[in-house]
Amino acid sequence: MLRYLLRKLLVYSLTFVVAVTIDWSIPHLMPGNPVLTLMSRIQIQNGEVAQHLYDSYMRSFNLDLPLWKQYWFFWVSLFHGDLGTSIMQFPTPVSTIIVHAMPYTLGLLIPATLLSWYVGNKLGALAARRKVLDNSLLPVGYVLTATPYMWLAILMSFLFAVTWQVLPVGFAYDPTAGRGWSLSFGLDLFRHWLLPFLSLFLVSCGGWAIGMRNLIIYELESDYAHYLESLGAPRKLVRKYAFRNALLPQITGLALALGAVIAGALVTEIVFSYPGLGYQVYRAITNQDYFVIQGIFLFIIVGVLIANFVVDIVYVIVDPRTRIGMQEGGQA
Amino acid sequence: MITRRKRAAAGWVLAAVGAIAVIAAFGTGGAGATWQAKSYPRSQTLITSGTQWGNVVSMNPFNTATYAAGTIGLVNETLLRYDPLHNTYISWLAKSTKWTGPKQYTVVVRSGVTWSDGKTLKASDVAFNVNLARFNTSQWNNLYQNLKLPIQVKGNSVIFSFKGTPNYVQWQNMIWNMPMISPVQGKTIKTAQELTTYNPHNPVGTGPYKLDTSGYDVTTRVVWVKRDHWWASDQKVAPSPAPKYVIDLVNTSNTNSLAAVLTGVEDLNNNYLPGVNKLVDSGKVQTFFPKAPYMLSANTAWLEPNTTKAPLNDPVFRKALAMSIDVNKIVSDDYQNLVLKASPTGLLPTWSKYVNAKAVKTFGFKHNPAAAKSMLLKAGYKTDGSGMIANKDGSKIDLEIAVPQGWSDWEAARDMIIASAKQAGIRIHAKVKDYNAWQSDRNTGKFDLVVDNAYQISDNPWTYWNGIFHLPIITSGTGQTFANFERYSNQAAWKLTQQLDRTSPSETATIKSLNNSLQTVLMKDVPMIPLWYNGIWAQMTSKYWTHWPAATGGRQYIPAMWRGYLQMTGIDTITHVKSTRQATGG
Repeated sequence: MLRYLLRKLLVYSLTFVVAVTIDWSIPHLMPGNPVLTLMSRIQIQNGEVAQHLYDSYMRSFNLDLPLWKQYWFFWVSLFHGDLGTSIMQFPTPVSTIIVHAMPYTLGLLIPATLLSWYVGNKLGALAARRKVLDNSLLPVGYVLTATPYMWLAILMSFLFAVTWQVLPVGFAYDPTAGRGWSLSFGLDLFRHWLLPFLSLFLVSCGGWAIGMRNLIIYELESDYAHYLESLGAPRKLVRKYAFRNALLPQITGLALALGAVIAGALVTEIVFSYPGLGYQVYRAITNQDYFVIQGIFLFIIVGVLIANFVVDIVYVIVDPRTRIGMQEGGQA
Repeated sequence: MITRRKRAAAGWVLAAVGAIAVIAAFGTGGAGATWQAKSYPRSQTLITSGTQWGNVVSMNPFNTATYAAGTIGLVNETLLRYDPLHNTYISWLAKSTKWTGPKQYTVVVRSGVTWSDGKTLKASDVAFNVNLARFNTSQWNNLYQNLKLPIQVKGNSVIFSFKGTPNYVQWQNMIWNMPMISPVQGKTIKTAQELTTYNPHNPVGTGPYKLDTSGYDVTTRVVWVKRDHWWASDQKVAPSPAPKYVIDLVNTSNTNSLAAVLTGVEDLNNNYLPGVNKLVDSGKVQTFFPKAPYMLSANTAWLEPNTTKAPLNDPVFRKALAMSIDVNKIVSDDYQNLVLKASPTGLLPTWSKYVNAKAVKTFGFKHNPAAAKSMLLKAGYKTDGSGMIANKDGSKIDLEIAVPQGWSDWEAARDMIIASAKQAGIRIHAKVKDYNAWQSDRNTGKFDLVVDNAYQISDNPWTYWNGIFHLPIITSGTGQTFANFERYSNQAAWKLTQQLDRTSPSETATIKSLNNSLQTVLMKDVPMIPLWYNGIWAQMTSKYWTHWPAATGGRQYIPAMWRGYLQMTGIDTITHVKSTRQATGG
């Protein structure tokens, strides 16, 4: 077990270094200069003033250094827990931006991912059992899973927020709300959370339901299921085993899907003006705010790697074959 | 016994509660989250948006790119204000300002003005603020270099003496743009770097509002709460603003803004909302003008040719290009008449008194593709096999035009420019670039044609001429960072521009003559092609607030919260609105 974990840790560490290097490189290699973008918003009338300001900002962000030095300082700062200072939100540290935005994204992402996985798998399993459900749920599932997150978000926003005006149009709470621990504020947060949550939940749910439905049918047609049936095992028991076996690829799928769900959460936040990491990264990319892009993607990279690591461990727990394989590997 | 269904339902509820708890505990837990939620009564709250793209992070009024909407105007005020609709200066923190000599400017500071920390505004506070321009990161540092030091303070007067001829225009511009910060807070600024990083937690100002720290949320909004006493209303200089709270919301997209306006979430929105004319016509929103052009003008959108590249280095070619563009079509089809067609001088309507009609008649250009083509042929340009204009040596002309990707109104205008230039035989193709690449290429001269609008409305057309004629042209490194992106080198025009800056406001004949000369150069040489006037986009709703600025009647103010606009009568918009309850006597 320890060897397995160490091997995994090594792989994840290498992945981290490569991913973070790419994360650093892409914004730095993009054409353009973020300091010039910042300066274009300042009404400057004089060449010398423009040059002084430009030099000052370039020094502040270490952008006057050669690229290799910037890369080196990036790692040094990272190990000191310093993600740098935002260019467009100067002089705010990137860590502060992430701390403010992260709860909104996590508050959307975690419930949407886990609940869609749970509900989708349950619905898929039910659909595989009942013809009526299969005929009705399957097409809905296909439509949902093929729907881009953003499109569903725009549609829901248009219907629920603009046309019927039953749910709010954007932001995490009403602009006139006072923030604090009160039931009314909690309900307000909930009302603003519901649409972005649903748009993420529904799209993911459709995919999981279809996947589980197909896997169950495959498992029910496998030799062990037929063998159990021929032994006279109750249908319920056969389905239970089929469900358990079908669940394994879905767990792997959950780890793989995290990246896509995060991307979905980012665009959903933009549609609903939800002040999470999605909106921040969108603004950072459009303004070439290197440090915010790096910081947020670093957060996402770490999040996805941790989630994958957790899934690896869960896999060991739920799949006896992995445990046996590890034991055999250990004995060899 | 707990059934599976009950467990699943409990899971749903727990997930939702958990998510909300996470957000409530951390997401909104910025500086001011409290245990007791205080909401802002809608009837007392003015909600605005359209300025703040990205988090509300800065309370530094010197950081004119990022300060929270309202920092200058609602909190930190200026010595003068400028009313571009009536072309007048409004005495504000200064009771009066005057050139008291060819090289001397005197500010008499208004008495009875108090900072929000209770201290009185003194003449030395004004000197303190001007002294901050000693740092080379101040946008007014070049003006400070020309000051004799120390700045003299006598009683309520601050006397500025200049070493050489003052930059009269720039100085006057500074006086109504430089924010006054409290010396108590500002004394922490000791270096040039600290001027850029200055960010008070709770800014002290002389304005009608102060920051409501409990409502301020960097990701969502800034909340300003009305002060009990404001000098301007106490001294009957301005009405006391009716909104107890002003909330400026973070701007996320034009689409979201439209939804927010339609649902009554926002009272004043300063985004460009395509098709808003239909909402005005149906009575859902108000704009400054009830009919076209609906909006006041903010800046001139122009086509910038790279004057260092053939054939755009030829004034004849540039003029023909200008004549080929059907700006009326852009105004009517792209903007649905939300903007005005620009004069050939490009001078904004607020500077119309400087337009020389005779020069426009003689040197101006009109849409006439046939005349444009014959002008080019007459100048020695050839036609290629397809009938399109070729260079004088017969080589093919195929110009590239770029606008920032995603700026849909400009993208549509670009396509119309391409189509109308084709009528004159000028071949242009679009090059898609994101904003940063567009800007980088524009600054470093790696372009043929770009649509641009770099200079805002101001109190003097000098800011516009400086943008066009500024020299020297930086050809290395970052290239041009703030002016003359078309890289037009005309020493004579630059000298005239500098002369205008150094001409005393009392020399009206010289000022007129210089403006005449500069617009003549522009129309003859066409270093850039004025297209249309971008609007001061402003949509207002009357669900909660009425008495908005309007073209007719006594409320001719700029309805904008944009940075730099509150001191240009934007504040008057806020001091004159009335609650619908108040307006109906309810």
